[in-house]
Amino acid sequence: MSIERRIIKATWGYNGDLEPLSELEDLGDAILVTFDLPRVKKEDVEINLTEDTVELKAKLSESVCWEKWGSIQKRLTFQTFQKQIRLPVHINQKEASASFKNGILRVVMPKLREKVLIHIE
Amino acid sequence: MENGPVTIVEEEGVTHKSPIVIEGLPDVGLVGTIAASYIVDKMDYAKLGYIESELFPPVMVIHEGKLISPFRIYGNEDVVVVLSEIAIPPDAVYPLTTALTDWFSSIGARLVISVSGLPMKNRIDIEKPEVFAIGNNDAAMKKLAAKQIELLQEGFIAGTYAVMLRQCMKRGLSAVSLLAQCFPVYPDPGAAASAIEVLDRFINLGIDVGELMGREEEIKLKARDLMRETALSAPEMQKGVEQDMPIMYR
Repeated sequence: MSIERRIIKATWGYNGDLEPLSELEDLGDAILVTFDLPRVKKEDVEINLTEDTVELKAKLSESVCWEKWGSIQKRLTFQTFQKQIRLPVHINQKEASASFKNGILRVVMPKLREKVLIHIE
Repeated sequence: MENGPVTIVEEEGVTHKSPIVIEGLPDVGLVGTIAASYIVDKMDYAKLGYIESELFPPVMVIHEGKLISPFRIYGNEDVVVVLSEIAIPPDAVYPLTTALTDWFSSIGARLVISVSGLPMKNRIDIEKPEVFAIGNNDAAMKKLAAKQIELLQEGFIAGTYAVMLRQCMKRGLSAVSLLAQCFPVYPDPGAAASAIEVLDRFINLGIDVGELMGREEEIKLKARDLMRETALSAPEMQKGVEQDMPIMYR
């Protein structure tokens, strides 16, 4: 981690992005990633998957505005949640599924595995 | 009141009449923090003091241009509320709970209530979080029974409230923990609302939690950073042990 990153460890960007809280859980055969997305509607959520990343972009139904706040001391408005998470294993994007309930987004991504049956001698 | 590395600083002229203490320090789902902050706001409690320690991060809070401590005490003669705007460093848990419980004894607290959360993996499917309780002595258990609050029967508890119960027990203080089913790592105003409703059986605050639920999304947005910091310290607080099965021998 760079020195600058250690000092300016913000969960927001000047471009109007907020980093959502998220959690990654290994379910054995799949990876579950959840995101906490307050003030977001299901139709405003976009999820993009690669074999080892999940990328979220979600528009807030009402922007968040902070006035004279923190070190910048000016008005800041946030309109979107944005986050990319690198997954610990490769996943099968085509078999992935997502659900959204009470502001919590759940993305279940089956692991990409080639199973080989081993005979016991 | 200086107690080892932790000092409780009271405002001048503060008096107490055997108060009930509400402790709402950051923990899973920030249940206690959200509940305590809402209570202080709705009841318009005065600031009674603050807590300082060399074990706390070198952080101060600026509210409306004024410098204040992130670890503060609010209330009146009958109620004391302890809250924090930053995560409790694991190294500070024992000295902090020792100092607080010594202070609770010195002001003649009649009951210490820790408000916290019970992390649930299936919280998303729980419409109305239930609240369970733990009491630290017979008197506390009787109070919980009288208020018809379901007891946590088996398991481990970990974190600040677990140590608080023990420290109170050592000093002969009655203490209970109210644990509302909650999201483990997401701020949970719904769980805080359930906790306040149960707390009301002890103090008759008469607070309407409707406004809290109406501000749910705003609170979740504002609490992201504190939740993140609290979640980062969870492994050191041994929070994972709460999901373990006890061996249950007697």
